[in-house]
Amino acid sequence: MQGVSAPREQAPPVISTSSTILNMREKEKYIEDFDFPFCDESSKYEKVAKIGQGTFGEVFKARARNSSKKFVAMKKVLMDNEKEGFPITALREIKILQLLKHENVVNLIEICRTKATLHNKYRSTFYLVFDFCEHDLAGLLSNVNVKFSLGEIKKVMQQLLNGLYYIHSNKILHRDMKAANVLITKNGILKLADFGLARAFSVAKSGQANKYTNRVVTLWYRPPELLLGDRNYGPPVDMWGAGCIMAEMWTRSPIMQGPTEQQQLILISQLCGSCTPDVWPGVESLDLYNKLELPKGQKRKVKERLKHYVKDPYGCDLLDKLLQLDPAKRFDADTALNHDFFWTDPMPCDLGSMLAQHTQSMFEYLAPPRRPGHLRHHHHAPAQPKPPQDSTYQDRVF
Amino acid sequence: MAGNFWQSSHHQQWMLDKTDLIRDRQHDLNILSDDEYQKIFNFFSSIIQVLGEQLKLRQQVIATAIVYFKRFYARNSLKCIDPLLLAPTCVFLASKVEEFGVISNSRLISTCQTVIKNKFGYAYGQQEFPYRTNHILECEFYLLENLDCCLIVYQPYRPLAGYVNDIGHDEQLMTYAWRIVNDSLRTDVSLLYPPYQIAIGALNLACVMLGKENHKSWFAELNVDLDKIQEIVRTITNMYEMWKNYDEKKEIQGLLAKMPKPKPAPQR
Repeated sequence: MQGVSAPREQAPPVISTSSTILNMREKEKYIEDFDFPFCDESSKYEKVAKIGQGTFGEVFKARARNSSKKFVAMKKVLMDNEKEGFPITALREIKILQLLKHENVVNLIEICRTKATLHNKYRSTFYLVFDFCEHDLAGLLSNVNVKFSLGEIKKVMQQLLNGLYYIHSNKILHRDMKAANVLITKNGILKLADFGLARAFSVAKSGQANKYTNRVVTLWYRPPELLLGDRNYGPPVDMWGAGCIMAEMWTRSPIMQGPTEQQQLILISQLCGSCTPDVWPGVESLDLYNKLELPKGQKRKVKERLKHYVKDPYGCDLLDKLLQLDPAKRFDADTALNHDFFWTDPMPCDLGSMLAQHTQSMFEYLAPPRRPGHLRHHHHAPAQPKPPQDSTYQDRVF
Repeated sequence: MAGNFWQSSHHQQWMLDKTDLIRDRQHDLNILSDDEYQKIFNFFSSIIQVLGEQLKLRQQVIATAIVYFKRFYARNSLKCIDPLLLAPTCVFLASKVEEFGVISNSRLISTCQTVIKNKFGYAYGQQEFPYRTNHILECEFYLLENLDCCLIVYQPYRPLAGYVNDIGHDEQLMTYAWRIVNDSLRTDVSLLYPPYQIAIGALNLACVMLGKENHKSWFAELNVDLDKIQEIVRTITNMYEMWKNYDEKKEIQGLLAKMPKPKPAPQR
């Protein structure tokens, strides 16, 4: 093996067999002095700014100390459940990111840790270190100065679907599709990010349904099958999110902003029609189908309501195919990529030059909150977000 | 999970070189003979295997745990962490990584206690399993660091199933080769060779043991480095030879006593 050190004279401190327990002070000293040659120390990076905060923890922009040009994003691994040991979600994220190497998936550079000292009770913190991306899609969409042409929207969606095609072919579900988790570099390369909720899936074997948790996906992007309690789901859950994000490219804010799960289902029904066995065979066997009060008699109005934003008929048609209630009818990434939307003029075009006009990073976390602009019926005026004050953005120089 | 072995950390970081491996073990091999070293790993592989079976883990999970265990000591002396602590830690981590689910702390510890007492009493006598949950959780950190967070381990089981299918379905052959793969985990082959080669080696050995001459042409047509396959077969048969004249029940206590251990704390 390359670069393996000779067996060490020192031993890590856990080793105490009953006969040789180090006393506490010696143990602490021992940990402080111990050198782990494999995971680098996080101090090789210098934090520049906080760029994200969520249930998952914090994300920082940082600079490599040995190079002032190289920026990274560092995501802290939250150790919330001490009983579980190293969190299974973090293990999933690490192994999934190690598995996935694709231009449209965020690149994990390495895993770092802090030194164990008295200050952290001798528990090191782990960080996932990623290539830095200048923007996220939610941040870009919340800035009215950023205008996407139809060709540019196509490029965003094409890259997003390419990423989804790749992860789904590798039997991974993302399970947290939303605009804030879609990163875009200053050169216009899109990267799917935040695999903190992702997991591997298998096609259910006959008679043995999968039992995945349905408490995943940010509510506004959550597909109807999850809201109805499905636990045997698959790639279509991400495709629904792709549809929501695609619509958002024009509406500039999430199209269905339900405050509760029940409300979210109502918003979905108002747009996509009622969930009935006619349009969605098998929906009646989902756990919550009979337990929830579901809107009845709603007609599907996807194209009718979106055409006021999405003037391109191919775009409207693809949205209609992605926002299908029945997951079996929803387009998969491959079919979506073959849709005429991507193969008619204006063809997808590079985002680099448009983004070059903007010299500040745009992240949802740093942006002013977006106007709660539910998708409006066409007689309402489209939401007019206030132009963000430039002073509300901080740091973002790249 | 699918993925590509050739791009994986398994292939890129964890296909070790035999001379490096021997060099890195020099410290332990100054104290133990090569033969004794192998016997100790055989013993702890058994502990992991039995622990896994008691916890009703799939063989894939058990195999991953054994590979973690071997990878740790490929970079560290036996005295760095007591293998009796590292073994259940590997089981704990592997069951999370392989999506078996988290084993509850109390169940893990109580299983360790009963397994050590009931199945390995010949090694530990009256001594009870000395570790608690907090030891395992702490140990998990060191294990993760030393694995360099390389979690995905490819195993020979899936390629093996493919090959047996290709040869023509043969239940007996599959069962035999599968067991040989299980046994191979007790050798260094999982550190030295890619899983598909181990699968072919196990299949080759199974054919020989079962006297199945008619598959010769199938092997002849393979586009693989047959020297590597022969090395794998030899490593496994050497272990079988060793087992013939080895009574673990009699010798293991002596070996464990001789095994390098952590330095006792300096007296102050």
